[in-house]
Amino acid sequence: MSTETSPRGSAPGAGVAATDVAVVDHTAAADRRAERMRLLAQPVLVLLLTGGVLAWAFSRDLNATQQASISVANLATLTWQHVLITVAVVVIVVALAVPLGTLLTRPGWTRLAPVFVGIANIGAAAPAIGLLVLFYLATRTTGFWIGVLPIAFYSLLPVLRNTILGYQQVDPTLIDAGRGQGMSARTVLRRVEFPMAVPYILAGLRTSLVLAVGTATLCFLVSAGGLGVLIDTGYKLRDNVTLVVGAVLAVSLALLVDWLGALAEVYLGPKGLR
Amino acid sequence: MAGRRKLLLRKVAAFAMVAATAVTLASCGLESGGALPLKVGPGSITPVPELEGVPITVGSKDFTEQIILGYIIEFALSAAGADIRDLTNIQGSNSTRDAQVHGQIDLTYEYTGTGWINYLGHEHPIPDPTAQFEAVRDEDLTRNGLVWTDPAPMNNTYALATSRATAEATGVRTLSEYADLVKRDPAAATTCVETEFNVRQDGYPGMAAAYDFDPAKAQKQILQTGIIYQATADGTQCKFGEVFTTDGRIIALDLVLLDDDRSFFPKYNPALIMREGFAQAHPQVAEVMAPVSAELTDEEITELNRRVDVEGKEPADVAREWLVDKGFVTAAD
Repeated sequence: MSTETSPRGSAPGAGVAATDVAVVDHTAAADRRAERMRLLAQPVLVLLLTGGVLAWAFSRDLNATQQASISVANLATLTWQHVLITVAVVVIVVALAVPLGTLLTRPGWTRLAPVFVGIANIGAAAPAIGLLVLFYLATRTTGFWIGVLPIAFYSLLPVLRNTILGYQQVDPTLIDAGRGQGMSARTVLRRVEFPMAVPYILAGLRTSLVLAVGTATLCFLVSAGGLGVLIDTGYKLRDNVTLVVGAVLAVSLALLVDWLGALAEVYLGPKGLR
Repeated sequence: MAGRRKLLLRKVAAFAMVAATAVTLASCGLESGGALPLKVGPGSITPVPELEGVPITVGSKDFTEQIILGYIIEFALSAAGADIRDLTNIQGSNSTRDAQVHGQIDLTYEYTGTGWINYLGHEHPIPDPTAQFEAVRDEDLTRNGLVWTDPAPMNNTYALATSRATAEATGVRTLSEYADLVKRDPAAATTCVETEFNVRQDGYPGMAAAYDFDPAKAQKQILQTGIIYQATADGTQCKFGEVFTTDGRIIALDLVLLDDDRSFFPKYNPALIMREGFAQAHPQVAEVMAPVSAELTDEEITELNRRVDVEGKEPADVAREWLVDKGFVTAAD
């Protein structure tokens, strides 16, 4: 068996392959340009949204009830709580889903993959509000972790699914090549398979991040705070100013987090695949 | 060209059909109302000739107590001979109010505090229940042409509650004693509230002002309503919790209500309200309902709420059962 050393594909039918590659490169370049534009535009949009809604709210004549919600200190506290919930969720999701996904693609373990994907599916399919309340009923405690853990379970699926997918799409011939060069299975995993799976894992993580920011608006139900407090206060009191401030800040946070995810995809992916 | 126009026409037709269906479905909302689910015969309420066959639509908001109250009106007036349409369970206070103002419902139980604060737009309630009722009655009649009849003694307002164990351990039975505890030992007075109660002026901030303590010093947790009742009963996460005074879970979870000894919380006594024209045309309605309203105390309604929320019975069954027990009507098949 002859091994090709050319970096791009195989030699047979090289003429046809070359034109295909050119077309692919062309659209890929256009995609990259659009992506770069988005990377620039998104933080600007976040700033405009946040600045706009705050300027709008603070320039209004707020009554005593609204002032209790819309104060700099309160907004900062709630936003910070929201960020902490999101960070904790993401850390848990990555720490759980990436090793689990790696394990479930190793020989001998693949049969268990449907079981765990099934469990993660249940987490994603169940309503987040139900998970939160069930988790409270099971533990009879309230607070930060009671808000974080159900949301982590809820956002586990995209990362787990994409980790498994990321490993599955690695060309088996590359693994063979690695083994043929005398690498151990572990070294192949570390130096070949994992780097090639990273873009998929990051794409999954980005989905999870946005899910986590969105569902963290429900964490207030179990005393974990977050921007959901403003949304619920505004809704219950028919106070649209508080409602809009809470909702727009949550949207801005989701856009910001999505942007960070996109940056991670650009800068943390393997160099050769960027 | 012709083909394209035909396609366009077909699209327009399809869109029109979808739109028409949507309009038809949407208009079902408040059109008719249902018939009474159970039948009653006369008890101490006997048929009134003037009400015989008079069509009356009764409405209520969408929570347990309101639905029970709605059915109580319906069964009582049905025993008096009226032809009742049932429109209980309207989504939210504001929709119920709009339905009444626009004549889709004739009769409903409304709370004095809700009328004063939500509908008439006052920020500060009147502490005395009678003065509060008279103020709402007079203003709503002049401004909106709505007639309020004498209110029931029950008062579904806010309160702080605690578990029996916490009440005994701390000795706190009134809001003044609660305020002392917050000043002395905030950690022993962890209080669970809803988002809304946490900021509204007739909620926690106003209560703190009325009882002279610093709301920032109190240790508060913001929780979902249902969780507050359970967590307060457990007594570990929440030593005190915000509740509604007539909620059935107060009995079921053996919660102790703290006495509002400075009479801070608004009064939410329910009274029958109707449009002026209806009240003048059918003065008998108020006469028939007056003894029924008078029987509706906190204890009675809390027990009825408990039967629905805790035992899972149907509001209509519970309402009829109560009217039969009180002798107002008899059950009929």
